[in-house]
Amino acid sequence: MTTRREVLQGLIVSVGGASLLSACGGTANITPSTRNELRFYSPEEFAFIDRISDLIIPSTETPGASDVNVAGYVDALMSEWANTSTQRRFRMELAEMRRLLGEDFLGLTVDEASQRLAEFDAAAFDRRPPRYGGYRSLKQLITQAYFASEAGALQEQGWVAVPGRWDPCVEV
Amino acid sequence: MTDFDAIVVGSGMSGGWAAKELTEQGLKVLVLERGPEIRPERDYVDQLPPWQQKNLDRISQEEIEQHYYRQYPGVAYAVKESNKHFWVKDDEHPYETAPDTRYDWLRGYHTGGRSIMWSRQSYRMGPQDFTANKEDGIAIDWPVRYDEIAPWYDYVEQFAGIAGNRDGLSQLPDGQFQPGFELTCAEREFKARVEQAFPGRNVIQARVAHLTAATQEQRDLGRSNCQLRNRCHFGCVYRAYFSSLHATLPAAERTGNLTMMHNAIVQSLEYDETSNRVTGVRVIDAVSNEHSTIRARLVFLNASAIASAMILLQSRSEAFPNGLANRSDQVGRNLMDHVSGASASGLIHGFENRSVYGRRPGGIYIPRYANITERDKPYKRGFGYQGGATPLGNAGGNMAGIGRAFKEAHSAPGPWRVNIGAFGEQLPNPDNRVTLHPTKTDKWGNPQALFDVSYGENEHVMLEEARKDAVAMLEAAGCTDIVSNPVNLTAPGNRIHEMGSCRMGSDPDSSVLNNYCQTHDVPNLFITDGSFMTSAACQNPSLTYMAFTARAARHALNLLHDNQL
Repeated sequence: MTTRREVLQGLIVSVGGASLLSACGGTANITPSTRNELRFYSPEEFAFIDRISDLIIPSTETPGASDVNVAGYVDALMSEWANTSTQRRFRMELAEMRRLLGEDFLGLTVDEASQRLAEFDAAAFDRRPPRYGGYRSLKQLITQAYFASEAGALQEQGWVAVPGRWDPCVEV
Repeated sequence: MTDFDAIVVGSGMSGGWAAKELTEQGLKVLVLERGPEIRPERDYVDQLPPWQQKNLDRISQEEIEQHYYRQYPGVAYAVKESNKHFWVKDDEHPYETAPDTRYDWLRGYHTGGRSIMWSRQSYRMGPQDFTANKEDGIAIDWPVRYDEIAPWYDYVEQFAGIAGNRDGLSQLPDGQFQPGFELTCAEREFKARVEQAFPGRNVIQARVAHLTAATQEQRDLGRSNCQLRNRCHFGCVYRAYFSSLHATLPAAERTGNLTMMHNAIVQSLEYDETSNRVTGVRVIDAVSNEHSTIRARLVFLNASAIASAMILLQSRSEAFPNGLANRSDQVGRNLMDHVSGASASGLIHGFENRSVYGRRPGGIYIPRYANITERDKPYKRGFGYQGGATPLGNAGGNMAGIGRAFKEAHSAPGPWRVNIGAFGEQLPNPDNRVTLHPTKTDKWGNPQALFDVSYGENEHVMLEEARKDAVAMLEAAGCTDIVSNPVNLTAPGNRIHEMGSCRMGSDPDSSVLNNYCQTHDVPNLFITDGSFMTSAACQNPSLTYMAFTARAARHALNLLHDNQL
């Protein structure tokens, strides 16, 4: 049995190893778009995705979605991964989402926007089958892009490149 | 005058073993690989951290539509942006299927073949598997019994390195194991409850071809222990899992007797009627398109159950108008795979303050019990389940909530989920076959494969029962939120266990190979990939190919020494 302390100690060592690895590994294979050089979304669409991504995954003790440019990653995904029908669908669903969340959404305070999005999110998941598929797809991309970032993987999730051993039952 | 003592066609799971065994006994061996060379230090991508993977490691949708329209849907869990070079492009390697049938031919052409990408589950066949056809009156009897192959399982397990537990089950014999990956706490609970509710069933550790206590022999080949990264589908710089590239080919290489030739597509075999021997192999250079013939005293076909059969069918002569070594008309027939599509998952409770450390390469296995410890089934043979019980962990965003709680939920272990999925035995059927397409060819002028394979009544009935059994076991284990979708059989070929196209048997009129994987018709021709399988059993078959290959190579060497080839 391994204690949580030992697990964390293991993490610290391995995280160091992973950082070293990334330092040697050169540049990332995906280049997230920047606000000024968008490849797919309009500046308004980008601002909306940036907003909801940071409401879904805010900055806490670790960086949030905006800090690691998740919206830029999603823009790159749309431009490099998605085919034209996926692009069309995401754009259409995004327009619908913006309509449902209100024209004033970007102008709201963080607390107001957070409350409105929370209600929308709850409605998206509270039925079988769930609705607002476009929002749920985008939320998944946002989440996956966040945890694929260096900060998301290492700092938030404690991802370990080389665990080195198997412990089938750890106290947490 | 020959160029080599032996030619091995294919460098994958079984070809690597043929090369190792023959070179270690002093033969000069040429291995022909139809694809390009894989060099781990250049081509493995297992060390890429998530933030260096492109597009969440997804292949772009346009590229899937253009190049991977069969590979990707067939094996989406393993075909990613970073490792797509391990899989063939479908548009470059087309094949055809008979009307109203589907066949998933999932593969990679390069050094080591699919031993680079396999899922490494390694089980022995049991005594019952070698007598099943005889007892059921199906197809033909195996010409080999378990006791004859058991020492060869020992032999290949010691070299390959199999992690597992000794469970003492007669239908799934124990082997020469390195320490296994222990069950999670939830799996121990699941095991206890299932075994209590169903005394004839067992829940055991998956047995996988991973080093956990590398031997000196394995270390000498540059291999070391599994690091619990679960990056196996991307290669392994530790060479911890068994593959031709990590183990058998380096062993052959160090004898000084191995010659590897890449981009060498075998068109057909050259046959001499006077001596009744294969005299050489006709090769097309995949890059330059040049044709050549390379000669040897002995030929091992290890091109896969599909490609080996096709090579024989393409090797026509006056003596063999229907294809070399095909007097039985069994070449290309009885093509089998394993069948999945019955599964269940559910939440298991009481472990909320527990998690796991490390990402292990295999989970649990429930060995076949149907028609062994439990009788009166409405179907023949049976199935094993693969699965596991692990914390749900990162839901990838597919859950309700926003803000801190949502963010942190992705790092918490979450509830534990059990999942099990069946791998069932497909019965041999001579009408399930691969033939040469009468008109369509590939870009090298070789006929395309034409598949005509369908499941029978037994597979359909069996998988329906497997689904019910899976749900019953999860219920017995106290699971909640059980999900079990309606049975949807995997397409033939989808499990990537191609078998049976040149079956072995005692009678040359009804089988292609004898008990040593030597063709009945042509003494210096051996086939030791999945082609030889007279029945499929339900265990993952690679370990069995290894054992039969090592045994066949030893037999061929004995015959060579006795001047019988």
